[in-house]
Amino acid sequence: MTLFVHLFAGTGTFEFLSPGILLAVAVTCLAASLYLLLPKSGRHGKTSRRVGWLIGLITLGLFIATGQRLGNLGDEAVFLIVSLVAVVSAVATITCRSPVYAAIWFALCLAGVSGVLLVLGAQFLGVATIVVYAGAILVMFLFVLMLAQPSGLTTSDRITNEPMLSAVAGGVLLGLLSLSIGRLSAEEPLCCRPPSKAAALGAATVEKIPTESVDLLTSDQVARLGGELFGRHLVAVEAVGILLLVALIGAIAIVSNGLEGSQVETSSLHEGSRS
Amino acid sequence: MTTLLLLGTSLALLQNGLVVGAILFSLGLVGILSRRNLIVMFLCAELMLQGISVSLVAWSRYHGDFGGHVLVIFVLSVAACEAAIALVFVLQAFTRTGRLDSSAWQSLRETTLDRSIDHEIPSLDTSMPSFPRLTPAGRSPDTDEQAGMQREHV
Repeated sequence: MTLFVHLFAGTGTFEFLSPGILLAVAVTCLAASLYLLLPKSGRHGKTSRRVGWLIGLITLGLFIATGQRLGNLGDEAVFLIVSLVAVVSAVATITCRSPVYAAIWFALCLAGVSGVLLVLGAQFLGVATIVVYAGAILVMFLFVLMLAQPSGLTTSDRITNEPMLSAVAGGVLLGLLSLSIGRLSAEEPLCCRPPSKAAALGAATVEKIPTESVDLLTSDQVARLGGELFGRHLVAVEAVGILLLVALIGAIAIVSNGLEGSQVETSSLHEGSRS
Repeated sequence: MTTLLLLGTSLALLQNGLVVGAILFSLGLVGILSRRNLIVMFLCAELMLQGISVSLVAWSRYHGDFGGHVLVIFVLSVAACEAAIALVFVLQAFTRTGRLDSSAWQSLRETTLDRSIDHEIPSLDTSMPSFPRLTPAGRSPDTDEQAGMQREHV
């Protein structure tokens, strides 16, 4: 287990807190706070939301405590700030009652994610996330909301399906993922499995492609990313172009078909719309 | 920027990036399981895609090649296609039922499942949000109803 608890290592009073226990407590707190934050039927809506945010802050503190130290304090601060922006606005996205507010919180989450991508050294992707997601996809979502949202909050925005079970599911998934992330170590890199395993899978002639570990952070990073994209992955780029074209044609076809046939099947759906 | 980007041991940075990606993914999962508005469900799917992108870029940084970056570019473009098609479906669903609720389509459920009925719907919070107000200043102007009907300029 290589999850360090550097924060508590010096004090000695917290030595009984092994990283596994800390992680379990953090995941439980996350599930509890998500359950309290999700919109549901109940009288104490506002109080439970406040308690939920409080427990959520404790959870974030626990995750920060179990995280790895990056070495440099400034680097840690930058990474911490952008990832906190991303995570907190993601929580607000899924717990907001109004869909419009959820979309706007998602835009803030995208800003945080692009900051994380920049810190991880993906300059082009950080900018592309803002341009493509926040600029295009999110605006499309907002357009559809303006077209389709009836005024005020509908009942379906004020209640959720099974808030307890879904919060527990998310907590369990996050706990398992963090456990396996904490087990990663530099001694046994995942990329170089022993060749016997590859042979057992039937790929007898798997050769390790001699990829030199390039430095990603040089100034001509974007140019080299373009070279990689249009060199090694040229066929995939063409396929993605065709996919975009098909999606465009398909969207137009569905809309024009639906305008003709929208009056046909409304009677069969009355059971659903009366619920 | 270069001093910022040369941070940390690579493994620690990888683990932190993966944890952020995992948190985003699980939050998106919770949202898509529990929310009922169709558009919010698609927002949560996009949130899961963001978590995947962060993880891919973290691996790419760790191994020092561009494979993860290229995958994230493909994820972005497929997400754009998916959003276009999905929003068309959402608009169609709205024009047929008049609601953005996913349970409006529960006639498509499995035959063995019971029909879900909302038993207690929480009361609407009728208190208006507190908008900022201007304090009134000066005397109120005399209104001429006749002048209000006509325009001075076109």
